[in-house]
Amino acid sequence: MSKDKKKTSLRYRLIWPLRNEKWQPISIPVASILVSFIAAAIIILLLGKNPFQAFYNLFQGAGILPKPTYAGYKSMFTDFLQLLNAMTPMVFASLAVAVALRAGLFNIGVSGQMLFSGFLATVIVGYSGLDAFIAKPLVLLVGMVAGGLMGGLVGWLKYKFNIHEVVTTIMFNYIAQYVISFFIHMYYIDPISRQSKYITEAARLTLVNVEIANLKMNIPLGFILAIAIAIIIKFLMDKTVVGFEIKAVGSNRDAAKYTGIKVGSNTVLAMVISGGLAGLAGVTYYLGYFGSIQPKVLTNIGFDSIAVALLGNAHPIGIIFSSFLISIIDQGSTYMSSQAGIRQEIASVIIGLILLFSACGAYVKHKVSRLKEKEVDRKDSES
Amino acid sequence: MDTIIIDGLSFALPLFIMAIGGIYSEKSGITNLALEGFQGFGAFIGAMSAVLIANASGAAIEDMFYVALLFAMIGGMGFSIIHAVLSIKFKANQVISGVVINILALALTTFLTTQINALVFGAASDKFRLGVSERFTIDGLANIPVVGAVFTNVYPFQVIIVVIAIFAWYVLYKTKFGLRLRASGENPQSVDAAGVSVSKIRFSAVLISGLLSGLAGMCFAYSISAQFSSGIYMGYGFLAIAALIFGNWRILPTLGACLLFGFAKSGGMFIAQSMALPSSFTDLFMILPYVVTLMLLIFFSKSNRAPRALGEIYDKGKR
Repeated sequence: MSKDKKKTSLRYRLIWPLRNEKWQPISIPVASILVSFIAAAIIILLLGKNPFQAFYNLFQGAGILPKPTYAGYKSMFTDFLQLLNAMTPMVFASLAVAVALRAGLFNIGVSGQMLFSGFLATVIVGYSGLDAFIAKPLVLLVGMVAGGLMGGLVGWLKYKFNIHEVVTTIMFNYIAQYVISFFIHMYYIDPISRQSKYITEAARLTLVNVEIANLKMNIPLGFILAIAIAIIIKFLMDKTVVGFEIKAVGSNRDAAKYTGIKVGSNTVLAMVISGGLAGLAGVTYYLGYFGSIQPKVLTNIGFDSIAVALLGNAHPIGIIFSSFLISIIDQGSTYMSSQAGIRQEIASVIIGLILLFSACGAYVKHKVSRLKEKEVDRKDSES
Repeated sequence: MDTIIIDGLSFALPLFIMAIGGIYSEKSGITNLALEGFQGFGAFIGAMSAVLIANASGAAIEDMFYVALLFAMIGGMGFSIIHAVLSIKFKANQVISGVVINILALALTTFLTTQINALVFGAASDKFRLGVSERFTIDGLANIPVVGAVFTNVYPFQVIIVVIAIFAWYVLYKTKFGLRLRASGENPQSVDAAGVSVSKIRFSAVLISGLLSGLAGMCFAYSISAQFSSGIYMGYGFLAIAALIFGNWRILPTLGACLLFGFAKSGGMFIAQSMALPSSFTDLFMILPYVVTLMLLIFFSKSNRAPRALGEIYDKGKR
């Protein structure tokens, strides 16, 4: 027995955490995250700084670890809530990308859909002075409907006129960006901040500066909804006929058509769901995290979420974890930069590296199974 | 009218050369959403080389134009190796790889630009200043009405782009390499059966797209933005992708799409200026190229068809 063990090749033994196929959807992303942190550590070392210190500061800044001192009314908990606040739109946006991906569609327009629904909700509800109990649900509703309509239009154009969704979504991104910038400049501009005027507290999806136990904190109401919706989407995709049909269309259009699934309407439906989720991302971002809209700027979240969705295997629960990780790096970078004296931009480099390594997931899987086969062959020939 | 043509062309041509890069890659069967990253990284390498060489030799930054173009092409090509390796050797999903490369390019170049500025010039700026390249006018031809505008205030890079574009057209449609490249995107098995390596062809196609995108990025840096900064990632790469899909993955119709973008853009600006409207109205006219595109696509995209094997990982065993 012990003799056998000795014969196992070193390479095969080294990959032990990756060998179990059942755990690969988790073990491969985790491995790629570890590798990218090692790569980032090397970069930080080359800059002459201490990587452990830097990573420690990163987690401190994100509210995962305590900082040595806090300004008035703040603690680790306030930082952590701010992390969740920033993470909420990311979860929605990534879910939007993921649903479209399952249907074989590529939604590059999440940023545009976010802006459109955020703007509509701001104009309709944000400035209305409605009571909080009506305003907040109404914000969500407007966001979802606006995003869903815009997404649905993309799907319909594809189904009816065969216009590639990548082109449509890119065009809509630009159109939304410019048209909304026009309206903000004309009617809603705040002359000092050069952004749209702040929305009323009642319409805001983040409770700002709430005082609890001598701490001031921002409570993101959308976060709980984001988790709930992620679970609903998982249920929708895995357990319902709708989800099955969407996935069937995504994996093989022709086969789906042959079995009698309506490809066209499922394409439109998937885009409506995707757009609706993007709309929720928009309202939690513009009416939650920020409270106003910067004209002529599309948020990066719509593009980053593509990668976040993929890091989470386009799986709703995976997405919660991947958005959490990416948000930590995003949020912690300012503090890391001020404490460790490393440029803030290194954070986005780390994120880029994580995504790069996780893109190799399929290759790692393939390699592992090859090594496994070899090992089995060798054992067979020896015995 | 003249300004519309002059400005339109200086925007359309870099877009066009980038779209040609995209056509090469996609015709060979590799989805390429990474054009944006390639152009940004290429422009970064070009601008960095120009700034550093000018600093070391004492020459004016404006004289570094051709050096910058050359290095931008090398830089874009170098960066495209990542996409080629990921999507061909590592069999990664090509869409994923493309998006990741865009994100990585933006992060890396912003980081490196501030780092290099701090190290070499002692000031933490996130841009390299380049200035605008000089322009020239061909005297005789410029006097022809309307068409003359094409020969007025021409950037040198426009000439370079036209030459390269014609060459690229020739290679893609008239040479053996071009034939094999197109076949790799339609029916890779047949290419393989003919004893030609599909991966090698695809690899070179991706590198070509990187090279051309790098050139395009540098042209934008020397004209529209007059500097290198993260502003170079303005979505032009995605616009090029839209143009090539609009052009049905063929070079000449893609030129048409790019010209449409360029003229609609400069035309919109022109209308806004000549009507002396408040500056916010410029935004409204800026949507012209995109609305026109969508309108035209409604009529023309019924027959649009992507290369058959686009985005599929080539597997020898599969038939």
